[in-house]
Order: sequence, then structure tokens, then C-alpha cells
Amino acid sequence: MIEGVEAFEAGRSSQRELDALYDSAIKETIQLFEATGSPVITDGEQAKQSFATYSINGLKNIEPGGIPILFADGHVRNFPRLVGGPFHYKTPADVYLEIAQRYAHVPLKQAVISPSALSLLYPQGGIRGYSRQEYLDDLLVEQECEIRRCLQKGAHVVQIDFTEGRLSVKMDPSRRLLDSFIDLNNLLIERFSAEERKRIGVHTCPGGDRHSTHSGDVDYAELLPSLFRLQAGNFYLQLASEPDRKRALKIIRDHSRDGQRIFVGVIDSLDPRVETPEEVKDRILEAAEYIPLDRLGTTDDCGFAPFSDDTSRSRETAFDKIRARVAGTALATKILGIE
Amino acid sequence: MPTKGPKESDNTDIRLHRRLRTLYRCNGVFFQAQSEPELLQSICEILVADGELRLAWIGYCENDRTIRPVARAGYDVDILDRVKISWDSIDGGQHPAGVAVETGEPCCLNNIRADPTVSPLGSAAIAHGFSSCIAVPLVARTTQGDMVDLRGALSLYSVAPEPFDESAIEFYVELTTCLTQALVALRGDLAGDLAYDVTTLRAIQERKRSEEALRTARADLARVTQMMAMGEVAASIAHEINQPLTAIVANGNAGLRWLANETLDVEEARAVLKRIVSDGHRASDVIRNIRGSFKNANEERTPLDLSDLIRDTLALLHGELQNHRVSIQCELAEALPKISANRVQIQQVIVNLITNAVDAMSSVMNRARVLRVKSEIDESNHVVVVVEDSGVGIDPKDIDRIFDAFFTTKSHGMGMGLYLCGSITRAHGGRLSAAPRHPHGSVFRVVLPTGEP
Repeated sequence: MIEGVEAFEAGRSSQRELDALYDSAIKETIQLFEATGSPVITDGEQAKQSFATYSINGLKNIEPGGIPILFADGHVRNFPRLVGGPFHYKTPADVYLEIAQRYAHVPLKQAVISPSALSLLYPQGGIRGYSRQEYLDDLLVEQECEIRRCLQKGAHVVQIDFTEGRLSVKMDPSRRLLDSFIDLNNLLIERFSAEERKRIGVHTCPGGDRHSTHSGDVDYAELLPSLFRLQAGNFYLQLASEPDRKRALKIIRDHSRDGQRIFVGVIDSLDPRVETPEEVKDRILEAAEYIPLDRLGTTDDCGFAPFSDDTSRSRETAFDKIRARVAGTALATKILGIE
Repeated sequence: MPTKGPKESDNTDIRLHRRLRTLYRCNGVFFQAQSEPELLQSICEILVADGELRLAWIGYCENDRTIRPVARAGYDVDILDRVKISWDSIDGGQHPAGVAVETGEPCCLNNIRADPTVSPLGSAAIAHGFSSCIAVPLVARTTQGDMVDLRGALSLYSVAPEPFDESAIEFYVELTTCLTQALVALRGDLAGDLAYDVTTLRAIQERKRSEEALRTARADLARVTQMMAMGEVAASIAHEINQPLTAIVANGNAGLRWLANETLDVEEARAVLKRIVSDGHRASDVIRNIRGSFKNANEERTPLDLSDLIRDTLALLHGELQNHRVSIQCELAEALPKISANRVQIQQVIVNLITNAVDAMSSVMNRARVLRVKSEIDESNHVVVVVEDSGVGIDPKDIDRIFDAFFTTKSHGMGMGLYLCGSITRAHGGRLSAAPRHPHGSVFRVVLPTGEP
């Protein structure tokens, strides 16, 4: 797949050939995902360049040279920057959803990027004739339409990726930036009815890439209390890789509200070792001590390769881990006496 | 301790003077730069301005372990486009910028030719006559004591041999620290700026939501008011229909009595039947009018003769007016130009104005309760409807508010009647006004354009 994209970028293959390659990767991913027995699946974001920039890739008013994001192992991902307005998406997530729906037989969860992440596109020095406020207004319209179309087309849940929560605390320890991120994301979520919000979720993790994270060193306690101010109905939380899970679970218990479903991460997606179903089961039973069963679900800590050039984990490992999650969840379900 | 000779001392003075000038200029940019690219480019330009350095460039680390130049100034700047500068260890050596980024320390090559670890850029640099180079990482300590590493470096090239002595290195490290702090300050406003914009957007969104809620409430109230008006109209209709029905029954009974007589008076029977038929037609007309009123209930606009509409409306409200002992004076213009309007809505305006007039006169006991309804055409060729009453009048302090939503002086009023009248009139391109009437009561004027609004 990576070679295919490189060949396209070097002009050695056509758009048609690239699309065919994406199509076959999505089809294969969905088949393998369904085979794990997972009740809800994704397309593995096979056709996205990255989880954060899929919608803007190829836009003429986007250039390199935005905010650099440093990872613990020293590598860096530079966010692009906006150079002019108005702002419109090039490829919204429902395009990917439609392709996935051709092959899926079980409900699909569709990931979209958060307004807070894309707010970082706007350069701090400003853009002449196009204010940040105008940009944010355009951005919210694009994202509202994207989510609405995903919901209308039948996404089981739309998951807003909010991996910059902990990062924002690193960028601004006063947490003013985090508060602004939460407020901005709520501006989007509040555009949906209470019924629609039941199908909207928020995912957070310390930003995994390769074998590292960009904000794993920031205390989860800095983020979690603010996180549950988000008006979403579902929360997909990294937890398996958390050094002190019980502490995080206590904070989740104390700050999450009725009506907010908590999907705890039971698979550490950065750890190359595949968890056993027993381990997964134990993690769920641990979480069940803090979260009411009718609000508890399971998920993976994060996607297995949020950037298209990340080869740190094989597909086999990823699906083995998902299989462990499904099997472990089944074990825990039996013990907890729920279906 | 050896002392410096006069020439050496002069050179030191010149260097110090240059550095002070450079520092002074850079300080200005640190405070004045509006954007990061502007700041970086200005610093590079200042550094090469006095000729001591041949090339200055600043680069940031990229995803693919390269260093991407973001600002450059001096001679042969295109050299940077021809080589790939890595911050990774590669065969053939690592560029000083890569070393600086990786170690967080300045990397100085005072003799590029003699250094075996020289990077691919080195050979190009030699070809361009550069003989020495220093790279300083963009690192600094914040006022809170945190270490900031922007993952980039400032690289400087010189043609002079051994130009980067201890004091020069110290100077460029200090300068790069200030540059890093200026960059942090420039980026650091993000939280404040975003908070301001998000707060403003929330205020706009909430205002939109409130306006939408108000619009919905107004629409609901309009519907309720219309229903209430319809209720009143229905009572009038019942009254109007009841009259012919009562007459039909009475005439029917009379007919039966005639038929029961031994001698049949055919003429009397015919007269009775004619009255029955006539009353039946009257009832039918009332019903037809009602159907006519509701058929175009929404937005459909048709050519409308306002004088006819006023007559129909007065007929509908006849019972109501009688009950309140209101005498009517009608001055309706004949051959009035037609207006393009929604019949139901304009009728609602007239009903509301007449009902208000009746209410305003209900407490009047010491003078006649007179309703004067007039239609005419004004000098601008607009059709005008005037509704006057001899009621209690409008308190002058309320005159500016009577068309506001929810404003009412009635104990049982909702304050929507006149507001809706105003909305409907405006929607038809017209205007509604009110004024006191001498010596008692009020005058309401509806002005509507003829033809298409």
C-alpha cells in the first residue's frame, strides 16, 4: 500500500490505479475485521493519509510549515498550515464511509477529525483578509455537514478524534488551550440533537505514532475532568497503556455523567505484544468496578497506524489484538452476566 | 598574561561593534514581528547584512528526518535546494544542523575542508567558498523554567577561516535563545486568541439559537392567534348561519300550516318556499365565503379588492359588533385598484384591527361607540385602509411599543395581534401606523402597494 502511494506520488501510477489499490485494501481490512467477530468495525482508515489531515489533503490553500508536533522518541510530525480562505474540505469522511459500506456486513464506526485539531491549521500570525474566526466558522460548517452526512448514510457511530487534548496541556500548562479546545468541540457537538449525540463519540489518547506518543508524559488527570464536559454520548478512551489504570478509572467515575457511555481501551495498540483474552477480561472486570455496566464498552486504545507511513505494527498483529479484545470481552460479558 | 596588539584590539572592537549592531537590530524584530515566517526571515537577513557571514538559514525537523529550510538569506541560498539535510546519522557524516537538533548543543565546524565528518552539504559548501559553519539549536528555557525545544536550528556560514571563536559561539547561542523565546511568545498567544474566537463564536451561535427559538415561538403564537381569530370568526359565522336557518325553519313551519288549511293559498305557499330558497342561498353564501377564506390559507397571493374584503369581514363580524353595540360607518372606495395579497392574512389584519377597536370601546359608556372603516387611494397610488374607533385611545407613552411582540395593555391579551398585523403588512410591502384620534379613540392606517409587492 505504501509503495502504491509512493508510486502514485512519483507519477508512476494513475489515480485510477491508486483508487483500486485503496478499494482492495479497504475490502480486505473489512473482511479481516469482520472475521474477528467485532460487533462494530471500521475501514482501518486505509485510504487516509492520516487521521488528522484526510479532509484537507490536496487543498491548494494548505502548505507545509505549520505547528510541529514532537514525539517522545524524538521524531516530529509537522502539521500543515492554512495560507488563505475560504476553507472547505476536499475529502470529507463520508466519502470513505460510502466505500466501506460496499463491503461491510456489520455496523461501521466512522472516524472524523476534531475541530480543535484543525484549528491548529490557522497560522498564529493570521491571514490577511481571512480571520481565525471566519476560518473557525467555515470549519464548523464543514464538520457539521460531514458528521450529518455520515449519520444520514448510516454510520453506527461517528467518532471525533480528539488526540490533542493532552498535547494541549503540554503546549499550554495553564490549560487555557484545553478549555478552548473543549469549548470549540462543543460548538460542533451542540449543533446536533440529543438523539443524534447518542451516535456521536469522542476518542482520546496521547497521540500514538510509530512506537511513541506525543503527550504520554502528560498526566491523564489533567485532561479527564475537562473531557467529560464534551456533550457527546460516547467516549473511546485510551486506558490499557495507562500506567495507573485504577486512578484513571476513578477520575472517569467521578467526572463522567449519566448518558455518557464509556468505551475503555483494553488493547495497548503501541505494545507489539498481543494481549491474551484473559488479560482483556481482567481489564474489563477492573473497569466494571468503576463504571456502571449499562454505560461500559470496550475498544482499542487507538488506531494501529494513524499515519499512512507508520509501519511499526503489522496487520497480523493488529488483527490478533482485535481478536483478543473480542474474545476477552466475551469472557467478561459472561462473568458479568450481561449480554 | 599576553596583551593584545593594537591591530588585534581594533579587530576585536570592530567585531564587538558588529555584534552589538546585529543584536540591536534583532531585538527590534523580536518585538515587532507579526508572524513566524517574517521573524525568521528578518533574522537571517540581519545576520548576513554586515558581510561577516555569507549565508544564514533556519530549518525545522520534518517527518522524514530531514531538516526543511524555512528562512534563508545571503549568497548562494539555492545551495539549500540541492541537498537533502538530514537530522539522522547517515553515511558520509551528519550536517551540523542535524547534530545541533539531535544533541541540543551548538555544532561548530571552523574548517569544513579539514573535518572528516562533514555532511553532503559540506562538499557543496566548499564549492561555494564557505570554509566554516556553525549550527545552533532552537532551544530555550521559559520563564517558568521549562525547557523548550522547537526542533530546529539556525545555521551560519562564513568564508573567513576560524571565525567562530568562544565569544562568537556564545553570542550566537544567546541570539538563538532570544529567537526561540520570541518564537515561543509568538506561538504562545494561541490559547488566548483561540479562547477569544471560540467565546465570540459561542455568543454568535447562542444568539442565532435564541433568534430561532423566538421565530418558532412567534410562529406558534401567530398560529394560536389565528386560531383565536378563527374562533371569533366561527362564532360570527355560527350567528350568520343561524339566522337563515331559523328563518328556513320558521318559513317551513308556515308552509306546513298553509298546507294543513282546507283551502290552499298557492301564492302564500309559493312566497314561503321562495323565502326558504332565499335563506338557503344566504346560508350557502356564508359557507362559500368561509371556504374562500381558508382555501388560500398560506402564502398564495391573488389580486384582491380591499373594499370587497372589508365588506366581507364586516359581514363576518356583524354579530360581534352588534353584541358590543358598535355602530359602523363605512366609506369604501369604489373601483379601488387591486393589490396582490394573501386574502387570509390581510383579512386577519382587518379582523385584528376591528376586534381591537371593539375592545377599546367596550368600556365606553358616556358616548357612542363608533367604528369607522374607510378605504381609499392615496397620492402615491397606494391603497389605504383606515380603522377608527371612539374608544379609550392609546397612551402616548405606549405609542412606540404597541407593534412590539408581547406588548399588550389588555388583561387577557397576548400582545401578538398588532405585532402580527405589522408583520403581515410589512411582508406585503406595506406599512401599518397608529395615531390618537381627536377627541377620543385611535386611528390605524394600513398602507399597501398596488400590484406586485
